[in-house]
Amino acid sequence: MATHPLVPGEPTKTSTTMLETATAAVQKFGPINAIHQHLCAFHFYGNDMTRQVEAHHFCGHQNEEMRQCLIYDSPEADARLIGIEYIVSENLFMTLPDAEKRLWHSHEYEVDRGDNLPLGLPQIMMALTRDGQLYSHLASDVEKKYNVNFEKERENRAYMKGLEHGIHPLANAEGKGLRTELREVDCNGGAGAHSTPRVFV
Amino acid sequence: MASTVGREGKTAGEGMTMKEHVIEKGAEMMQSMKPIKQFSQHVCTFALYSQDMNRQIETHHFVHRLNEDFCQCAVYDTDNRDGRLIGVEYIISDRIFEALPLEEQKLWHSHFFEIKSGLWVNPRVPEAVAKPELDKLAKTYGKFWCTWQTDRGDLLPIGEPSLMTSPLGEVAGNVKAPLLQQRDEKYGISSTKISDSRVDITGPALINPNADYWIKHGKGFAIDIVTAEMKKITPLP
Repeated sequence: MATHPLVPGEPTKTSTTMLETATAAVQKFGPINAIHQHLCAFHFYGNDMTRQVEAHHFCGHQNEEMRQCLIYDSPEADARLIGIEYIVSENLFMTLPDAEKRLWHSHEYEVDRGDNLPLGLPQIMMALTRDGQLYSHLASDVEKKYNVNFEKERENRAYMKGLEHGIHPLANAEGKGLRTELREVDCNGGAGAHSTPRVFV
Repeated sequence: MASTVGREGKTAGEGMTMKEHVIEKGAEMMQSMKPIKQFSQHVCTFALYSQDMNRQIETHHFVHRLNEDFCQCAVYDTDNRDGRLIGVEYIISDRIFEALPLEEQKLWHSHFFEIKSGLWVNPRVPEAVAKPELDKLAKTYGKFWCTWQTDRGDLLPIGEPSLMTSPLGEVAGNVKAPLLQQRDEKYGISSTKISDSRVDITGPALINPNADYWIKHGKGFAIDIVTAEMKKITPLP
């Protein structure tokens, strides 16, 4: 039986869980089976560095230069799928049009507001780019939970070279904030305003 | 230097080396991947871009049911291992939907038609086994954001996310015959036969008129990403 402390809803009924075991055994889960890596990172909102979230990435390689990640709010079985991130090599990033470069980070839902449903629009998230941005309580929470030490990891990674050309000036929205907005548009095929009876018997 | 064409020409970037494959496998063995192991259903169905309903795609949803009223789905363009991650869909019961504010409801689409008409299938699963879950899902609403427009040939996920909508019986919402036929042939199924067998599946008592926005308003939605003031703690970057 599955219920969820953070998402509204009744516990899952047994008849459904039996089905789910049966289907998982025979169906083809190709793309899910290709997910091989779990990363924990911190993101902040595209227009508000003061709102920071712990983001658990589950990543699969499309090729050597491109990864696609599902982002969850925890590494547990009841984790909420809050967003998507695509990760590309510096070389691939350079091939993007300039207008596109400024958008690169990821899209996520705002779970830190205490939303228990994924309301509204996906937000653009950004990653930390220098010391002093990450709230220390978030860092120490992660260190405790997963028994890691950031200082030691930093030493272990001192050999890493980083970007050949440094952080591209257009990345991270050139240091400005980004926000998503909704706009109504023609849907190219919509039947136009008319009312259709919506009752089913 | 990056090539522009990678694995099977579908994603930009160099193919993976043997070393990368080995590291992948090693990491996989050491880490527990609990959230990923919760996907229990593969669904193949169709979706339309809300801002251009002539653009229709075959989708592969991997569904994780969190409770009786809520599912979260990772959506791909095939069920092959090299499937491209094209978006996320959330599925909620009619009970939860009715409690949403109006502004939120207009972003969601109904599922009854696409399930009843056999567009929505669980490949390789007998109908009888799928039925209890289909009964439940037929009464749900979904919100699907597409982040990679592979149907227009993008080799990388560029641009803003697109709000998608579901097939409906009205002309504009019909799935184009060649697209449907290609899917049916791939799995050796017939959507019309499946639809016949689903005659007793029922939808919500009343499909909320605030869902499927295009039906009443003839309009879809686009997302704009706008520059805004950044509330900062330190300089960025």
